Parts: sequence; structure tokens; C-alpha cells
Amino acid sequence: MYPLLAKELAEILSGRALWTMLLLICPLIGFSFIEAVSLYSEASTAALQSPAAAATLSPLDGILVPTFGSFYVAVTLLFPFVAIRVLGQEKESGALRLLVQLPYRSSTLVLVKLAAILAAWAAASIPVLSTLLIWALLGGHLGASETANLLFGHSLYGLLVGAISLFAATISDSSATAAIVALATTIGSWVLDFTLAGRPGLSAWVAKLSLTQTLQSFEQGLLSAGLVLGMVTVVGGLAALSTVWLPPGTPTRVKFARSVPCVLATIVALGLAAQIGASADVTEDRRNSFSPADQKLLATLRLPLVVTVDLAPEDPRYIDLRRNVLGKLERAMPNVSIVLAGVRQDQAGQSDAYGQVEYVYGGRTDFSRSTSPREILPLLYELAGTKPPAPIQGPEYPGYPLVANANVTLLWFFCGLPLLIALAWWWSRLSPAVKS
Amino acid sequence: MMTAPDFARGGGSMELLRVVDLAKHYDEEAAIAGVTFSAAAGEVLGIVGPNGAGKTTLLEAMAGLVGADSGNLLWLGDALPPAHRKAAIFYVPDGVKPYQDRFTIEVLTFFGSVYQRSASDLASAIASLELKPVLRKRVSTLSKGYNRRLLLAIGLLTPHRVLLMDEPFDGFDLRQTRNIVEVVRKAAGAGRAFILAIHQLADAERVCDRFILLAGGQIRGIGSLRELRTQTGISQGSLEEIFLALT
Repeated sequence: MYPLLAKELAEILSGRALWTMLLLICPLIGFSFIEAVSLYSEASTAALQSPAAAATLSPLDGILVPTFGSFYVAVTLLFPFVAIRVLGQEKESGALRLLVQLPYRSSTLVLVKLAAILAAWAAASIPVLSTLLIWALLGGHLGASETANLLFGHSLYGLLVGAISLFAATISDSSATAAIVALATTIGSWVLDFTLAGRPGLSAWVAKLSLTQTLQSFEQGLLSAGLVLGMVTVVGGLAALSTVWLPPGTPTRVKFARSVPCVLATIVALGLAAQIGASADVTEDRRNSFSPADQKLLATLRLPLVVTVDLAPEDPRYIDLRRNVLGKLERAMPNVSIVLAGVRQDQAGQSDAYGQVEYVYGGRTDFSRSTSPREILPLLYELAGTKPPAPIQGPEYPGYPLVANANVTLLWFFCGLPLLIALAWWWSRLSPAVKS
Repeated sequence: MMTAPDFARGGGSMELLRVVDLAKHYDEEAAIAGVTFSAAAGEVLGIVGPNGAGKTTLLEAMAGLVGADSGNLLWLGDALPPAHRKAAIFYVPDGVKPYQDRFTIEVLTFFGSVYQRSASDLASAIASLELKPVLRKRVSTLSKGYNRRLLLAIGLLTPHRVLLMDEPFDGFDLRQTRNIVEVVRKAAGAGRAFILAIHQLADAERVCDRFILLAGGQIRGIGSLRELRTQTGISQGSLEEIFLALT
């Protein structure tokens, strides 16, 4: 299999798509990084005088997420062109007819192509990885687990976009058609997110299928087993479909028939993955968790807690409640059900009950309009008939304010790195030595 | 439909491959219909016919790159389903420029390494097809003739005993064609069977031991030149005259 992998890697490197993408994303990522550092520095100037304000400054939110955000845009819009090349070129030149005759299974061909796509993503991430190094050199702090988690999320997202592109190339006759199919999926996913996010019921479920949503957990510092398995399942499903559709000699009706079990298996696996609620809060500031004492006590409350929220999903109060309380409760308690009353924003305020949240635990009920854990947790402990825990003394998150000027790195992103990329491109195009 | 008398050239040559009643339709039109023939080790078999006769479809259906509607292949007497054909047969298509951004030597090395061919095998293929001047050129810059040589070299690097080649002499002048004929004959002499789709009858006459005359997707005649002359009653006729008489 090594010759095949080497060929696929060399194919990606010998094309223009990867190098062009690298050159295009250098200034994009550089600009985002410099803007992020500038804003972070402004916030840090005030925070340096106040420990309380400093504790709110996290490089994950201030630097990594905005910088990786521009990489996400580049991967969504440009990476399909790189990924499609691993098959599109062979289809257009007719080399696919040679490739499928090689002594490899179709599944091996597809897996090796996916490996090459992942390698291409790794190469494309060089500019964004260089921002981590620059941030560290500027004296900035990088939390190892939250940074690794974000990188992991982006690599899964890159693999997902790559798998979509590979499948698009498999079912399309030309690279142009494949690009249209892949971009229709990725950009269509944005539209889905914009139009349906925040709506209740089926709309909310459909919006969750958006590719955009896949990164949100990682950006919040959560490593969710269900999400990771879900993404791996979709990549696996697309790889299986690509395997079915790759061989040119199989009749289309047979390909459709073989696709059905692949799609069904993927849906079932996705459904199972969605049931997995296990997740780890990998942030340094433990933003996705209550205090250790509360976490410990809440984990012992094993009866079902039903929370009925009379708020529109797009209401900022619901978003606050979700972030500050509900999400944390779901992670801390073994049995939590959250029910949205299904109110829409335009109907909000027509009822006196709007804004009210009902908590039912162990047959006892209480109501609150608060979105703060300081009010909700005592309410819950009262419902459970238990005393609030004594606080466990531990290190407080100090925050990492940093006043820095990254303007000089413009030279790196606009000149140095593009020059190195151009040199590497030139080197990759040198003809090989031939033994006489 | 005519089918060939089943014999291998030279009497004692082993039959490797038998094609039985192969058919392929595109919509209502039959691209190939009821094609039956066999190929023996050491034999060069020419599928001869005008453009649109079904030569390429026949080769691709044999290789499993096009799904046949009916018919099957036998390898040494046993059924050879499409999924297993790449283990027995290698097809060198026409009009392919493989891996255009790569250098000729890289493409050859790749195919050589996939089939675990030695450096001397690679050197031998390069030498026999006179590819040395273009080894450090990108495939995209190769002339039609050199690209054809590259494809033939890829075919020679494979270990398969049966090679299917679509228009292997296309793009060559007379001298080059003679050289390539020599290469093919030498490889056949080592026990490989070649099944070549050729539309130039003069080229076919130079290289092939037997001919399958194909027109409208059907076999109109099959056999050596002498046998075809006997079939048609044209005792001194060229392949061209025989083809015209049979189609």
C-alpha cells in the first residue's frame, strides 16, 4: 500500500490547488490573528488592573477561536478544490481506468485517498499553526488541552469536508461538477444553520446537521464523545459510499442498491452516537462545569430532573440559561430532560408565563426566571432536600491578559510564509534524478 | 454471428482466456453482441474493425470496466467474474494521459513498485520502449507517441499474462510501429497473450497471429490470415480485402 500512499501524496503536492490555497490563506489567517491580538490587548490593558477582569480573559476565546475561524472559512470554501483533485484528475485524464485495475480493493483506494486528504489538510494548517507559535513567542498562554481539542475538532472538520469532496468527485464526471456538489453541501450547510438555528422542534434538529455546528463544541472547550463519533461515522459513511461509487464497471442501479445499506448503517450509527452524552470539559477555566463541589453533589442526584423552559430559543435569556446552567446540568447530573415550550420570538411576551423556567425533581416543583447558577443551584438543592455543598478550595482561574503588538507579524504572513510556500512549491516541481 | 473455431496458435499453446457470448447494449443499440473467442499464451490477437465497431467496448467489458449485459469470461477453464478480472487481465486504454503533473520516471516507478518489479525490469521496459529521453519530462508535455510508449511500458511492467491494448500503434510512424511490433512480439514470445484493438489493418497484419473482424458489435470473421483467406475464398487477399468481403 506504501507506493499507493506515496503516489497520492505526490499527486496532491504536484498540483496547484494545495499551494494556491496555502498562499491565499496566509494573509487571511494573518489578518485574523493580528486583529485578534489587537482586541485581546485592548481588553488586557484594563484587565491588568483588576484580577476579576483578568479572569475573564482566555486565549481560547480571544485568540484561538477567531484565528481558527478564518481557517474554518478557508477549509469550507477552498479545501474542497484540493480534496477533489485526489480523484477528479484521475477521472478527467482517464487514469482512473488504470488505477482501478491495480491490485488494491476499492476501499483501500478510497482510504488511501482520505489519508492523502488528511495530509493535505495538515499542510494547509501550517499558517494557522504558525499563529500558535507566534502567540507563544509574544508571551501568550496556550492551554494544552483546550488547544489540542480545538485542533482535533478542526482536523475532524477538515476530514469531513474532504470526505464530502471525495464523494462528490466519485459521483461526478468532472472536477467542476464535483466542486459544485461539494460547495453546495458546505455552503448549503451554512444556509441551513442561518435559517433554522434557534427554531424549535424539527427545525432545530435539522439545523444540528449543519457542518457549522460541528465545531461549536470544540470552540467551547468541550470534547464530546457523541459528536466525535458522529463526525467519524459520517466520514466513514461517505468513504463507504465512495467505495461503492468508485468502480466504473458497476451498473448505476447496482451502485444505488449497494448505497442503501451504507446510508441506513450511517443513519443508525449517527442515531446511536447522538445518544452518547459523555463529554469532557477541557478548558482551563472550567467554563462548561460548575464548581468542583457542586459537580460532585449534583452527580449524586440520580432522580430525573425535568426543566421546562418558557422562552423562545433565540431569546438571549435562553442562550444565557443554556450556557450558564442547562448545559452544565446536563453534564453534571445523570438524568436531565430539557423541554422547550416551543414559543417563537414573535409570540414572546404575549403570556405572563413567558420567561419562566420550571424545575421538577423528585415530585417537587419550583419556578425561576433567573439564568444564573447562583440562584438555580440552591433551588435545585432545595428540591432535592439537600444542603448546598461547602466550597472546595482550589486554584482560581487567573486569566491570561497580555498586551502585545502583533503588527510586525504582518511581514511573516504577507511575505515570509508566502515566500517559503512558493519556494517549497518550486522545489516540489523539480524533476527527479534519474539513474543512468 | 460467427464464432471462431476454438484453437490456439501453434497447436500446443495453452488457452488462457475464453470470452463467451459477451454482449453490451447502450439503450437500444448493441455495442457488442454475442462475442465469443479465446486467446492462448504467446498469441497476439488483433480485434480489427472500423471506428464504432465496438472494439473499445469489448476490451472494457472484458476488463470489467464496463458492465456487460450478458456473457462471461473463463480463465484456464474456470469462470472469471468481473471482480476478479484485474488479477488475470490488464487493460491499457487509449487516450489516457496518466498523472499529467508527474514526471515520466515517477509514473513508471509507481507502477513498477505496485507490481514489485525489479530495477532491471523497469530499465528493460524503459529501454525497449525508448523512453529514456523523456524520463525527466512531465507526462503533460509528452507527445502523443511518447505518451503511447508510456502506456505500453506500464502494460509491460504488469505481471499479467493477458494484456488488452486499445490502439497501441496510434501515434506512431512506420519505423516506430515496427519497433513496437518487435517489443510486443518479444513479450508474446515470453508467454504473454496480447489482445490488441486496431483500426489500421496494415498494422494489424504486421503484428497479429489471429484476427477478430468486428463490425457493428458482431464478429464477422475470426482466425489467422490463412484461415480467413480460406473462409472467404480470397486466396491471396490482404486483410483489408478479407475485411471488406466479410463486412
